[in-house]
Amino acid sequence: MSPRLLAVFLLGGIAALDATPVAQTMLSQPLVTSTLLGLVWGNLGLALEVGVVLQILAASTLPVGARTPEDYAVGGVVGAGVALALGSQQSFEVAHHASAMLGVLAGMASATLGVPLLKWMRRRNEGLSRWCEDALRRGDEHALTAAQGAGVALAFAIGVATTAVWVGLAVRGLSGLAAHESLRLGRAWGLAQPLWIGLGLAQLLHAFVQRRLTRVALFGLALLAGWLVLMVGAS
Amino acid sequence: MSPGALSRRDLWRMALRTTLLQATWNYERQQGLGWAWALAPALARIYADREQRRARLVEHTAYFNTQPTLASLALGAVAALEEQRASGAAVDAEAVARVKSALGASLAALGDRLFWFALRPAAACVGVLMVLGGHRLGALAMWACYNLLHLGLRVAGVGWGYREGPAVLGSALRPRLEALVRGLGSLGAVLVGLIVAVALVPGGDVRPLPYQATLAAGLVLGVITAQRARPSPTEWALGAGALCLVAAWMR
Repeated sequence: MSPRLLAVFLLGGIAALDATPVAQTMLSQPLVTSTLLGLVWGNLGLALEVGVVLQILAASTLPVGARTPEDYAVGGVVGAGVALALGSQQSFEVAHHASAMLGVLAGMASATLGVPLLKWMRRRNEGLSRWCEDALRRGDEHALTAAQGAGVALAFAIGVATTAVWVGLAVRGLSGLAAHESLRLGRAWGLAQPLWIGLGLAQLLHAFVQRRLTRVALFGLALLAGWLVLMVGAS
Repeated sequence: MSPGALSRRDLWRMALRTTLLQATWNYERQQGLGWAWALAPALARIYADREQRRARLVEHTAYFNTQPTLASLALGAVAALEEQRASGAAVDAEAVARVKSALGASLAALGDRLFWFALRPAAACVGVLMVLGGHRLGALAMWACYNLLHLGLRVAGVGWGYREGPAVLGSALRPRLEALVRGLGSLGAVLVGLIVAVALVPGGDVRPLPYQATLAAGLVLGVITAQRARPSPTEWALGAGALCLVAAWMR
């Protein structure tokens, strides 16, 4: 197996840990994992194109209450991994956009379809929790550490396995499409990228504004000021 | 056991253990097991009797859930309460459970707004803005922005909770965190405005009209879809992506 692919799978496991079971430091966010994979694969530009879109969508997905949000930890790694693997097989610029399109779609699909797996893992943890309580009552104080370790190991293993399956299937199934339909996929990327960025930014703005008009005004002022500065700076 | 018996090292160990608060998160007990594991160093110091310590550990594996970063405050506060209980104060298991429940709910309400609705999206906006502006290590800025507060509160929170006890949120801390939520909300709105500007005019070059129109369409679609929780933004994005594929194939 290629060491670069191995890095993708391992990062999938690490991201799955950071997302919920360990520390929650944002290491699992798509922009971070895409940057790391871009550095490993030597194609930071493509990785960041995918990472920005997935990051904006991930940031608008909130883990609040009982809702299990989409799994963008694994989704971010799968998206960047698929794009980089497909991109490494092509040399034309248009194929680069085709790889980005397929990468983002694979990332979003794996994030969405990863939800039932997260729920399954949480149900498995119920059994672990009951076992631990019984062991504690019997006098085994080390059961807590063992249960915590098992929870971490399970999350890591599922993260690695899910990433490997998604990247393996996507690269195997989509490399022909990326090679032969790169023009159409590139056109689709030209349409989808701004649409996705706009969609995600509006969701974020909605979360920030919270029906406060002053914040809407701040958004408008920042947009105008940023636009003017960039235009004046360029001229 | 006299009050204030936990050493700096005990508090530090508890703070480190909060990183695994959700290692065995489940629907039944949620953070219960992780909570007991994080509290274990304090219980080991407070209760010398093995049977008593084990009984307390079992009690603490009961249901508990809150925002994971701010859980540090509750952990310190409950450690202080357990210390009073061990020294013979009128604190029973029910009182400890009531404090856990009340602190858990209050910290979740505040922490969800601070971390999930404000800090995490704002930090993401910093990273995205930097990357779109041509700085390739925007991810590092995003990670640092978030963890300055996240890791800082996680480590220092246990000590604060221990010193203040169950009244930890009644102190000056709550107004400060509430002010931070408001400030981050305003900062986030500014950052989204700047990102849209940079997306439209990257490096001073105006994007072609179709790009501007599609970005505007995405913003309008996002504003409309944000009014409802379902379908999720990702499901909308997947649908929009499928439409773009169809459009590219038909052209």
